Amino acid sequence: MSLIGPAAGAWMLLALAVLVVSTGLPVWALLCAVASAFAALGVLGGQFDLNILAALPTRLVGLLEHDLLQALPLYVFIGVLLQRLSVADALFSSLCRLFRRSGAGPSLAALGVGALIAPMNGSVASSSALLARLVAPRLGGADAARATALISVSATIGVVVPPSLVLILLGDAMLNAHTEASNLPGFTLGTQRIINTQDLFHAALLPAAAVLALWALVAWWQGRSERHQAAPVAPRRSEMALALLAVGAILVLLAGVFTGKIYAVEGAASGGVLLIVSTLTSRALNRVQWSEVLGNTLALSGALFALLVGATSFSLVFRLFGTDRWFAALVLGSTLAPQLTAALVLLLVALCAWVLDAFEMVFVIIPVLAPPLIMHLGDAQQAAVLLLLVLQLSFLIPPMGYAVLMARSRSGLAQVSSARLVRALRPFILAQLALTLIVFAVPSAVHLLDAPAAAISAEAPLSDQEIARQLQEMAGEPGASAPPP
Amino acid sequence: MGALRRFTGFLALPLALLLFAQWPLRELIQAYSRQANDLAQILFALYMAVAVSAASAAGTHLAALHKGRSSAVSMPRWRRWALLLCVAPWALFLLWACAPMVFESVRHWEKFGETLTPGYFLVKLALVLLLLLVLAQALLQLVPRKEPRP
Repeated sequence: MSLIGPAAGAWMLLALAVLVVSTGLPVWALLCAVASAFAALGVLGGQFDLNILAALPTRLVGLLEHDLLQALPLYVFIGVLLQRLSVADALFSSLCRLFRRSGAGPSLAALGVGALIAPMNGSVASSSALLARLVAPRLGGADAARATALISVSATIGVVVPPSLVLILLGDAMLNAHTEASNLPGFTLGTQRIINTQDLFHAALLPAAAVLALWALVAWWQGRSERHQAAPVAPRRSEMALALLAVGAILVLLAGVFTGKIYAVEGAASGGVLLIVSTLTSRALNRVQWSEVLGNTLALSGALFALLVGATSFSLVFRLFGTDRWFAALVLGSTLAPQLTAALVLLLVALCAWVLDAFEMVFVIIPVLAPPLIMHLGDAQQAAVLLLLVLQLSFLIPPMGYAVLMARSRSGLAQVSSARLVRALRPFILAQLALTLIVFAVPSAVHLLDAPAAAISAEAPLSDQEIARQLQEMAGEPGASAPPP
Repeated sequence: MGALRRFTGFLALPLALLLFAQWPLRELIQAYSRQANDLAQILFALYMAVAVSAASAAGTHLAALHKGRSSAVSMPRWRRWALLLCVAPWALFLLWACAPMVFESVRHWEKFGETLTPGYFLVKLALVLLLLLVLAQALLQLVPRKEPRP
């Protein structure tokens, strides 16, 4: 493979992997460095012109004005604030109480908190930190491997439950991937239109519910025989009220986003504003603590945004070499059956997700692998849900899986060998694998909540009244109202 | 830099408020929701422009876990130079490449395309701010400093 031919992107990925592992330097800086080095090689080797790299500033401005990305600091803010507030504690105590008769109260409560908080909590790392603080002390008497497994699986729920940040960003990536796939030779859209984030929410909800139900069954089976060191303390009435309010607010927001009444970004903002108001009125944080929360939010948001900046630079150079087209041609030229080729692409995604985190996957790997995957499966929603399930699965496989790494390093539980952890995680992983196979074999499983009316209206041209209303609103005139997309 | 980061950190609050306000503005008042979004975009761009270098200073950037994350103060010397080597060529090239676009935008006080709300040039200016702060942070990290007392 030539260093500056179409396969140069493969060398870029290899160089990046080696540098990330060997230097421990920030991934975003290495993405920029590898992109710069290969861009210089490409220009010097006559592969592309220097002027074409001038597209990069425009792409970065695109990130700075990206509507969906505005949700990023809000999700991070909610995650940081929840670490310091008693809302999550109240939820956990109340769920422990609710499930106490099952004999596996803390285990089921951990999953419940994961399911309620994770979609608004930004990232696997953030969920893992929160669950470690909440759950680890209460599972002290349980087997450490099972407790670590439980924290790991609970932290990944945000990957599949809408409207998490990963889902929002993946929705945007899949829109681009579906558009690219529709331009590949031999692909016809048929009755399907280019999918958007809302379609992904609808497609992911039932599989996410099924994952949760299966995992709850496993957690109950494992937890019923455990003796928990700290017996669940009966929550105070005020805690129960707080938990009920929090659950109500979260469900209303999720329903609003799911039905399209409010945008995902507005849902995140509403959650943030509710938390701000409740924190201010209860005086839960003093001035110094507020300053720390906002400082941490800035630094964590910056870390995520830097990854996007690095990945955008990297992917531009990657595409200038034509590696994406080279890879697509390689996959499309496969003589294997389409389903088998799709399975191999998913296996490649799983391998990448085993060593990378969700945001790197969404911005570096998925834009390359998703178009040929959609092409082979013929269903963008099915491809998106499979990608989510595979990401979640890889995060749970020791020793490199991101959620496992986080739970092991942050939970404060006794260290356990990978073999013991694999045994504890096995039933969760098998349940997840079974569901992934079902979605792979039965594409209709992701279409049960499709909204055909919305699908048609999204393609339909705007009516004269709608155009007039939008112009009115742009001019700031009252009497104009826009329906959400 | 510290004061700039403290001030920028507080922008998360108006950002949340503006994005939250879009829904009632659109559904109840039926006006100005797009203007609120434009203002939120400016805040978001400026927030992120400062956030990237703030993450470097705080050591929150994602890195290989076994190597451990390190803040600007605790990072070994070779890694500070390597970091500068990683980001400086990239940032300098981008500054050179974006200069004409940003200059034209500022010169014409560019507005948002759809709403004609003033201030779009600030979004483009935020890119310059981001790059300058990244460069400044990488250079500042070369200056030896004492570990803060625990």
